[in-house]
Amino acid sequence: MDIAAGLLQGFAVAAQPANLLWCFVGVLLGTIVGIMPGLGPPATIAMLLPLTFLMDPASAIIMLAGIYYGAKYGGSTTSILLNVPGESASVATCFDGYQMARRGRAGAALGIAAIASFIAGTVGVIGIMLIAPPLARMALAFSSPEYFALMALGLAMVVLLAGRSMVKALLSMLVGLWLAGIGTDLFSQTSRFTFGRMELLSGIDFVVVAIGVFAIGEVLANMEGREAAKALPVPKGLRNLLPTGQDLKDSRFAFANGSLVGFFIGVLPGAGSTIASFISYGLEKAVSRRPQEFGTGVPEGVAAPEAANNAETGGALIPMLTLGIPGSSTTAVLLAALVLWGFKPGPLFIGENPALFWGLVASMYIGNVMLLVLNMPLVPLFAQVLRTPAYVLYPVIIGIAVVGVYSTSGSLFDVWLLAAFGLLGYVMRKLDYPSAPLILGLVLGGALERALRQSLMMSDGSVSILVSRPVSALMLSLALLVLLIPAFGKLNRLRLQAIEK
Amino acid sequence: MRKSLVFALGMAFAVPALAQSFTPTRPVEIVVHTGPGGGADVLARAMAVMMEKEKILPVRVQVTNKPGGGGATAAAFLAEKKGETHMIGIFTGVWLTNPLTSAEAKVSLRDLTPIARLLLEPAVIAVKADAPYKTLNDFVAAAKQKPGELKQSGGSITSRDNVVRQQLQKVSGARWQFISFPGGGERIAALLGGHVQMMVIEPNEAGEHIRAGNMRVLAQVSDSRLPAFPNVPTLKEAGFNVTPVPQVRGVVAPPGIPRENVAYWEDLLKKLTQTESWKKYVADNQFEPAYQTSAELAKFYDEFTAQMRDILQEAGVKTVR
Repeated sequence: MDIAAGLLQGFAVAAQPANLLWCFVGVLLGTIVGIMPGLGPPATIAMLLPLTFLMDPASAIIMLAGIYYGAKYGGSTTSILLNVPGESASVATCFDGYQMARRGRAGAALGIAAIASFIAGTVGVIGIMLIAPPLARMALAFSSPEYFALMALGLAMVVLLAGRSMVKALLSMLVGLWLAGIGTDLFSQTSRFTFGRMELLSGIDFVVVAIGVFAIGEVLANMEGREAAKALPVPKGLRNLLPTGQDLKDSRFAFANGSLVGFFIGVLPGAGSTIASFISYGLEKAVSRRPQEFGTGVPEGVAAPEAANNAETGGALIPMLTLGIPGSSTTAVLLAALVLWGFKPGPLFIGENPALFWGLVASMYIGNVMLLVLNMPLVPLFAQVLRTPAYVLYPVIIGIAVVGVYSTSGSLFDVWLLAAFGLLGYVMRKLDYPSAPLILGLVLGGALERALRQSLMMSDGSVSILVSRPVSALMLSLALLVLLIPAFGKLNRLRLQAIEK
Repeated sequence: MRKSLVFALGMAFAVPALAQSFTPTRPVEIVVHTGPGGGADVLARAMAVMMEKEKILPVRVQVTNKPGGGGATAAAFLAEKKGETHMIGIFTGVWLTNPLTSAEAKVSLRDLTPIARLLLEPAVIAVKADAPYKTLNDFVAAAKQKPGELKQSGGSITSRDNVVRQQLQKVSGARWQFISFPGGGERIAALLGGHVQMMVIEPNEAGEHIRAGNMRVLAQVSDSRLPAFPNVPTLKEAGFNVTPVPQVRGVVAPPGIPRENVAYWEDLLKKLTQTESWKKYVADNQFEPAYQTSAELAKFYDEFTAQMRDILQEAGVKTVR
């Protein structure tokens, strides 16, 4: 009853013409920012802060939040079309999204991504509305041992991302873990593998590695032969550019899986959408009836990570709104904005500012619909990008990659790193090393190490802390189970062979 | 008499002449060492808004984020812009401590042009509201009874959080764990979740959790009591004879800029700190106004660096300078 009344009040706020307009401005800006690699939502929101002082706080938060979740819609576009992940959360979308595009199904992939985003975005809002405060309290029970177990579970996904050779996948992951170790160690403040370079003090930006290995590596590999350098097939006719009923049917479990995984991981202040998208991709593959086809362009391989990274937005707003604890850089900027407008974000925020909170929730329902309406017509349009001949498209991809990397850090050093990782990506492709495990190791490595060392400091060196806590023990067993999946697969094949004989 | 009259006349002519000799003609850049949403970034953006609102700067202000290396990237960026007259940077104590422990952080604040110290950020020591410790003494006594069992969440080992711990451990002989978390949110979550027992927190962040009944404040890390915490003792009042290490924020400029340029920035920041919006901002955030001029700042560098070096060495942190 409270919720119904609150939501009614919220829609009264969000449906004011001015707020509808700001909501639209926010989601539109978000989509644009999401499409462009490099410029992310935190920087965009920070740049718009001075403008928001002239606005009503409700309109302002509605617009800024629109940028936040709108960017997640746009983020998949370059991943699918160009193999350039616009942000870290879109890396997992590259795996199947780009393969779909190569098979002439770019439109279907973009459509699935938009639909997954819509469903998951809405699930996220429903989550905020119904269970925000109790969930935020539950998330507090999560501490370093649980984070370690979560990261270990994520890392176990490597067996699902491996190609033909498990050894090569593990080697690739180890390189990723090593890359994650570069920089200043948080605990002792000593530098590791910085080779005396100041630029390496804060580690290697994940986006540099992902864009280098995926996009530049792909371009280099494609440039070798005339055959591969032909433009990708784009079917004619609107009907062929949108997802089919079969695609949606294949993805229905992925929509649910991604929404739930994304939402719950989003609530944890120390996790993030990248981990959510990897776990949900892995989970989708683990339970799929056709795991061997993952990575060749299956719609559910796009739906799961896209849903996860959109639902994460809803989840991540929960600790910020209910406890004043930011879980990501975007929520940190939003929190700073609330403070600058004179609010006191914290445990009492929702109770004291119901109009603002419910207005935001209602605007997110409206914003998600706007985003779907905005993005679906763009799908056939974006798919045409692939008609561009290779001699135009490849330089453009390299240009986008360089600009994207430079605009994130403003450092030329990172552009050289990009070139180096592009070469690495090319060599890995030639030698048949999968690149996804490298990215997985890099994404999870830092958090995994931190959580492990924090846990051991908490227990004064005793490893038992990792298995004596129920949640962490449960997740570690899950990780073990995931690791055993290939063994089960082998057993199953042997069994089938035996039956045939 | 005549001498002082001449001097006064001279000053009267010199000051406007000095102020007129430099006026910014294009947008001014404020360089910060954090990403959007970080402490220095928020301060810089608030300053930009205030300068615009109070009309004390004739041009626009834009904030440039140069995150990385604990301030080293931003410091090096400023050092490279030798003689650049339309750029200032916001520094914090990290810019002084980081070169102490990191060989790669070659640029120190001394290589840049000091402009002004703006404010100090006090902190409070907080525990969960249902914790058994009513005073800082209770906590320290409990830590003494079970050495190494109580835990504190905080930032890196060179952060103020750990410095306060080191100082308290030294004067009391107690010992407790310090667990580093990269994000402020994670530190608070660790305390509220009961995974650690104590933390050093900014008064504003603590304020809302106190109001909601989640946290209790045991002592404040400042020289005098904050207006919002009139009944909470300072460290000294609580019986711990330690000198609080200030968390400082101020402004620097690239090296080699003309003297009238320095005077212009000093004057601008002085004007800024006298505006109503600045005073409100400082009060709202529970900062301590601590304006210091360029000359005073150089002395502050030395004192602060020496104090930090001692504390870090005692804490077993390897210093390289």
